[in-house]
Amino acid sequence: MESTGASPEDQTEVIASFLSDTDAKVFVAGHRGLVGSAIHRKLVALGFTKLLLRTHAELDLTRQADVEAFFAAERPRYVIVAAAKVGGIHANSTYPADFIAVNLQIQTNIIDASLRCTGGAVSKLFFLGSSCIYPKHAPQPIPESALLSGPLEPTNEWYAVAKIAGIKMCQAYRIQHGLDAISAMPTNLYGPQDNFHPENSHVLPALIRRFHNAKISGANEVVVWGTGSPLREFLHVDDLADAVVFLMDRYSGLEHVNVGSGKEVTIKELAELVKEVVGFQGDLVWDKTKPDGTPRKLMDSSMLAGMGWEAKIPLREGLADTYKWYVDNVVDN
Amino acid sequence: MTFPYPQVSPFVKFRTAARFFPPLPTPPDFRDFLLFTPPCLAVMGAESADAAEVIPSFLSDTAAKVFVAGQRGLVGSAIHRKLVALGFTNLLLCTHTDLDLTRQADVEAFFAAERPRYVIVAAAKVGGIHANSSYPADFIAVNLQIQTNIIDAALRCAGGAVRKLLFLGSSCIYPKHAPQPIPESALLSGPLEPTNEWYAIAKIAGIKMCQAYRIQHGLDAISSMPTNLYGPQDNFHPENSHVLPALIRRFHNAKVAGDKEVVVWGTGSPLREFLHVDDLADAVVFLMDRYSGLEHVNVGSGKEVTIKELAELVKEVVGFKGELVWDKTKPDGTPRKLMDSSKLAAMGWEAKIPLRQGLADTYNWYVENVVEH
Repeated sequence: MESTGASPEDQTEVIASFLSDTDAKVFVAGHRGLVGSAIHRKLVALGFTKLLLRTHAELDLTRQADVEAFFAAERPRYVIVAAAKVGGIHANSTYPADFIAVNLQIQTNIIDASLRCTGGAVSKLFFLGSSCIYPKHAPQPIPESALLSGPLEPTNEWYAVAKIAGIKMCQAYRIQHGLDAISAMPTNLYGPQDNFHPENSHVLPALIRRFHNAKISGANEVVVWGTGSPLREFLHVDDLADAVVFLMDRYSGLEHVNVGSGKEVTIKELAELVKEVVGFQGDLVWDKTKPDGTPRKLMDSSMLAGMGWEAKIPLREGLADTYKWYVDNVVDN
Repeated sequence: MTFPYPQVSPFVKFRTAARFFPPLPTPPDFRDFLLFTPPCLAVMGAESADAAEVIPSFLSDTAAKVFVAGQRGLVGSAIHRKLVALGFTNLLLCTHTDLDLTRQADVEAFFAAERPRYVIVAAAKVGGIHANSSYPADFIAVNLQIQTNIIDAALRCAGGAVRKLLFLGSSCIYPKHAPQPIPESALLSGPLEPTNEWYAIAKIAGIKMCQAYRIQHGLDAISSMPTNLYGPQDNFHPENSHVLPALIRRFHNAKVAGDKEVVVWGTGSPLREFLHVDDLADAVVFLMDRYSGLEHVNVGSGKEVTIKELAELVKEVVGFKGELVWDKTKPDGTPRKLMDSSKLAAMGWEAKIPLRQGLADTYNWYVENVVEH
């Protein structure tokens, strides 16, 4: 925005767009997780010089007074909420209290402290969730409007209820207080810093680990559950980080925004791609007696596409990049 | 002698540690699966000489500390009245100025100092359609903070001091197009009513938090969802009040002013359910005494009236002699709203205050406490 007015005294301030505001303080909550670390990488690459990063030990986001003191001392201009308690089906069903309460506390503390930071220091806030906020039987592809239209998937309802409350809190703070708070819901993510744990990891990192172990041990085959026919969507976490900065720069609306690649693969295609990228020479065998899971899960990202954003990292390239990170950082050599 | 503690994680004292050291898997406590916990059940491991303490039922535990959060509101004040009438002698009373429930550290300090045995969460930010749409941030955030702080502090109160917690919501947690009568299973089955979605989301999160704390930590947390309430201490504000207190105020003002008529919007045909707040308080102590389940419990009278029947009853109770006129050009609102309270009925509870009597009692309170003389 150009300054207006005839005299220097009544010049209006230029409000910098996010991407040009590289000197501003940006608080990335959860900067060590899969999503937060990718956003951190992106901001560094874009030339941001004042990134506020705090580990759990340095700042417990579940403590209201600590979060308020942090905001009062640091006064960040931008806040990205990538901190959360996350996990798969087993974790959610074993620790439901942690999944609902810790996430409610983290997001309520950050959003409220952002509002109350004196002098309107916080100019914009970005809240992240995931595709599991949507009803179990949402239409496919899943549009933003599917939110709260039906029962949740019971295995992650604790996390989902917390995240839905976070979306609603951002909306409410925008309506009542004019806080520029936006929300984005990414599809299934993968990439560096993912969780490759033998019992807790999601399907993509699990396949990488299993094919790698089979290659190293010289196994004849890898057995995968199901028929391989279910369709899934994946997004490399660096693409998500790109979408986050895009939305920080361009979007100030009430509704949350789906962030997906828009590209589906069957589990069969995924497994074959992982096998190829890892370089496993044995057989890929399907145990058709085991369940397949949901037939299809695809986000409708047309709202974001309408703004002009699209994912850039093809699956093969993203898998290669992820496998390389896995070998360099996770595998005991 | 020590009380056998309820099922609380052994790591509950260490706030940080609880996150990193998950509780050992424990077998389910059969008490969790009972709707009715008779006092005799409480004797555990009684075969040894140093027999375990009897866990008193709530209703017999009248010397125990009870914290009724929100005891000055419509619901909290009725619960307080009930507990006093039942002989409870150790009621913790705090106003908002004494204890700001939205402050996590203050709530924790309160629990550490007071160590209540029973907690009833009747504190909330409530209001009608206009208030919800003007202050959505307050309606979602204040309620999330109050309930998260209390439930979490109740768990972490050292030594498992808090034996039982009851969380209150309202019928507006249910989807806009829920089946009528509305069963507990309707929760999250469809879109919410937009005009109160902020409050509803917060209350739904509260129900889920109670469930999650029961599952993971064994905290005996229950939730109950009352239908439309009325009674003493209600809000009779000209702009903010609900239909029943609004009718009382309007008929009273018309009587005092000598008006010829009172005009009410709509056809009078929509069906509504009302419950006197003293009946709710009775249900609350009943559930505290008897229910330890995962699912929330609807609390309704099960009796519907049309708005027309309601208006005519209010007119009669207030003693307005003029005309009751229906402005049929104005909207009616939802055709029917009735909670399915069969789950509570099966436990053996029913409402006792008929609408006419409840209205008379409420009008009497209104004249003595609200009307300027």
